[in-house]
Amino acid sequence: MWRCLIVEDDAENARYVAEGLREHGHVAVVCRDGMEGLQRAVSEAWDLVVLDRMLPNEVDGLAILSTLRNLGKKTPVLVLSALSALDERVRGLNAGGDDYLTKPFAFSELMARLEALMRRARSGPEVRELQVADLRVNLVSRSVERAGTAIALQPREFRLLAYLMTHARQVVTRTMLLESVWDYHFDPQTNVIDVQISRLRQKVDTGFSPALIHTVRGVGYLLSDTGEAAVE
Amino acid sequence: MSAVPSLRGPWRSVAFRIALNYGLLTLFFMAVLLSIVYFQTVVGQRHHIDRQLTLASQRLAARFAQGGAEALAEQIGINLADGVDSDSEVYLLQGPDDRRMAGNLPAAAHWRDLDDSISSQAATRGGQPARLRVLARALEDGSLLVVGRDLRDQRQVELAVGRATLAAGLVALLLVIVGAYLFRLDIETRVAAIRRTAARIEAGELHQRIPGADQSDEFAGLSQDINRMLDRIEDLMAGVRHVSNTIAHNLRTPLSRVLLRLRQAQRPGAPLEEMREAAQTAVREIEDLTVVFDKLLQIAEAESGARRHGFAPLALDDIATGVVELYDALAEAQGATLALATDDAAVVRGDRDLLASAVANLVDNALKYGGRAGGPAAVQVQVERRNDTARIVVRDNGPGIPAAERPRVGTRFHRLPHDPVRPVPGYGLGLASVMAIVHLHGGRVQLSDAGPGLVVAVELPALEA
Repeated sequence: MWRCLIVEDDAENARYVAEGLREHGHVAVVCRDGMEGLQRAVSEAWDLVVLDRMLPNEVDGLAILSTLRNLGKKTPVLVLSALSALDERVRGLNAGGDDYLTKPFAFSELMARLEALMRRARSGPEVRELQVADLRVNLVSRSVERAGTAIALQPREFRLLAYLMTHARQVVTRTMLLESVWDYHFDPQTNVIDVQISRLRQKVDTGFSPALIHTVRGVGYLLSDTGEAAVE
Repeated sequence: MSAVPSLRGPWRSVAFRIALNYGLLTLFFMAVLLSIVYFQTVVGQRHHIDRQLTLASQRLAARFAQGGAEALAEQIGINLADGVDSDSEVYLLQGPDDRRMAGNLPAAAHWRDLDDSISSQAATRGGQPARLRVLARALEDGSLLVVGRDLRDQRQVELAVGRATLAAGLVALLLVIVGAYLFRLDIETRVAAIRRTAARIEAGELHQRIPGADQSDEFAGLSQDINRMLDRIEDLMAGVRHVSNTIAHNLRTPLSRVLLRLRQAQRPGAPLEEMREAAQTAVREIEDLTVVFDKLLQIAEAESGARRHGFAPLALDDIATGVVELYDALAEAQGATLALATDDAAVVRGDRDLLASAVANLVDNALKYGGRAGGPAAVQVQVERRNDTARIVVRDNGPGIPAAERPRVGTRFHRLPHDPVRPVPGYGLGLASVMAIVHLHGGRVQLSDAGPGLVVAVELPALEA
């Protein structure tokens, strides 16, 4: 269970995010004013802050973020914004944001990103080898094997698989893959990521059991031996 | 003209001030020149007189030394009678008893007060007051020789020169003022034409142009520049109008579809299944609209030039490789081929994300249309450096674009005539976005025929690798 602070002036949007988080069993507190948001963000302990970029009155999202970081707080912060321009994203991340999501967004996208943030915040020391069931990925020698059989992957396929493995038992969305594996922040019109995944699946899952790469309808993908996401 | 407030008062006119200042400067120089002429004439003349006086005095003194007072008196008589300068020549031989012995100047005791240098004196000649230039010389027998020159002629010359100077000055001043007015009138006419046009444009007549731009002076140059700017503005306005119309159309159509579906599902007694379906359709349509919005914003962002400050040196190789690695699985799944030829000398300044998005758009299109001519799509992405130009060329084997259609390609929402059997998915924003991105990078997009197929070449200014 996470304690989440949502600083968002739009009532509908705040309710949408808060209810979604509560449905997943988390605690969500909503602040609709920048000043109050700043006070609560600084004075209480949170696992996670969802911050709207533009807030009414003097204090805007980035100001809260910088204050938080200047106080040395490392709470993961996801910045929400209706400003989609890339330099706005860069400003959001430079100010200390851990991730940036443009409105309108699907709750599943937000949830997947929050999961990834929490995972990253708790991640231990640098790992050299990842394993899920009988699939092993060596990050140093960049080799992949399943049930003892080596699998040849192209460089980009390897990065794709490595990302899925690092986020094993966790739903990742198409945009997350596009952002982390290709470092692209635009939306290709065609379903290129789906096709990339199905090719990877061909190489990793065909002829092996159980299937590891699963499609989560309307959200994205999941690499898991049970076919289910881990429950926090 | 009524729309243009007139320039009141000559001093508020730049043309008038410039002409007047220039005229006054000319006038000043003229005054200096005339003073030099005056000085040279008058003072030169005076020197000449003084020299003559000295010479005459010496000559007469020599005569006195030769023949005494009688000879001198005789010589003076000759000099006065010879008809040369007799009007202005003045002589006086004054005896020791201060009586006149010869000459045409009344004797007076005060002549003895003069020292032996030349000076100007007032005297009476023939009953008239006159100014004289005189040189007195005391002779050995106690008499006094005075040689002089009446300055009347000199005075005449001085007056004539002075009058001429004054007249010339007045005429020049008049010319300056009239010239300034004429100059101002001319400039004002030219400026007024520009201002009239500006006022009309301000009032909404955007098709107005400044007349007289076909001449070849500075104002014609300015008018041409302004006219060109107006052409561009008019184009942009037309573009904006077209875009707003098409945006309105492209957004309103799906919105009205959604509304219709939702209203139908809302009616009393509608089955639950239909409501769920309507909600799903609504979500899908709105997601589509969001995509269109994002793409329009991306184009607008590229066109505004705001991204330029984030430009960094980039190898086109890396961008092309990244995009090809994004699309290779798709090509494979379609049975298409996607080939890449690189050239590491193609380095440009730019925004990685935008350029990748542009190349992705082109590759996406090529894969979409490439297979339309029968047989699998064969797409070739080629990076190359040609002199100062770095190029990414995307070539497909599709039906291509007819030459007549090419100029309209890249207009927002413009789509090629549909194949009714197998419509190509898309919004008609891809190439518009590519063009906006390429223009942002100071490059251009060239379409040509691969026979069969389309060749899209993105040409960007290259950096030294």
